[in-house]
Amino acid sequence: MFRRLVNIVEVLALVVVACVVVLLFANEPDSGSTAPTTPGAQVFAANCARCHGADGGGGTGPQVAGGAATERFPDAEDEVAFVIKGSGAMPSFGGQLSPAQIRQVVEYTRTL
Amino acid sequence: MAVAGAAPGRTDGVVARRLIGLLVVGGAVALALGVYGKAHDPTLEQPYSLFFTGTIQLKVWFATAALGLAIVQVLLGLRLFDKIAVPRRAPGWLGDAHRLVGTLAFLLTLPVAYQCLWALGFQSTDTRVLVHSLLGCAFYGVFTVKVLAVRVDGLPGATLPLVGGLVFATLVGLWLTSALWFLTSRPPGIPAF
Repeated sequence: MFRRLVNIVEVLALVVVACVVVLLFANEPDSGSTAPTTPGAQVFAANCARCHGADGGGGTGPQVAGGAATERFPDAEDEVAFVIKGSGAMPSFGGQLSPAQIRQVVEYTRTL
Repeated sequence: MAVAGAAPGRTDGVVARRLIGLLVVGGAVALALGVYGKAHDPTLEQPYSLFFTGTIQLKVWFATAALGLAIVQVLLGLRLFDKIAVPRRAPGWLGDAHRLVGTLAFLLTLPVAYQCLWALGFQSTDTRVLVHSLLGCAFYGVFTVKVLAVRVDGLPGATLPLVGGLVFATLVGLWLTSALWFLTSRPPGIPAF
């Protein structure tokens, strides 16, 4: 009886694996519909979205949309300095992005 | 390790071919995941959260639950191989329990891996992320080897414990580079659900 249950669970696992593989290839998002347009949005999508979420709603990193960025950094220059230097889990982008790109992405986060 | 009824020289060749076959299949699975993660455009979406506050929280706690089950599975495996003596008399259902717990742990990893592959892909932005990406691919490769090795006859006796240990080690590495990192990079207090 117990062995039968284990067999059923293993078959179920195989089915789930098959579903995951199908979803990996079938569940493509609409191409172009959410493509970032402004330079700040492009920098955000390429460097920030994987932690802060595509829409800035948060992920492994905190939310920056909905006024969260301006609330934490009332002065934009403080946010620029934070992005350049990093802190804790937030990596330093001073060596990866140009000053102009950092300013663009900071301005972008303040519009989300 | 000899296969019953076969000459030793021929047996060694058969065993070697079986082991190489397992490694090739496991390597192919790991490689395929890495290629998909690298070639697929990350969607950066967080498609599901169940009763958690977000997909990331779901992933952290699913991974933690999978690790917990994996620890139980290792203990059951140690008892199966008589490396521990608790309970003193191993019940007849121990092997089935070992399989069930391992399968449940594996099932818990699937929604985690799906979001990682589909939404984030294979990344190398820093050491932690690179190690996590590599371990993620390796885990399913080694897991495939483990599942197949259970069903292949005549393998050396150390194969299953070795591969099982590797599965557990990669899962621990995955957890350390993701869930633990997430939990320890939060402000102190009750972990986010």
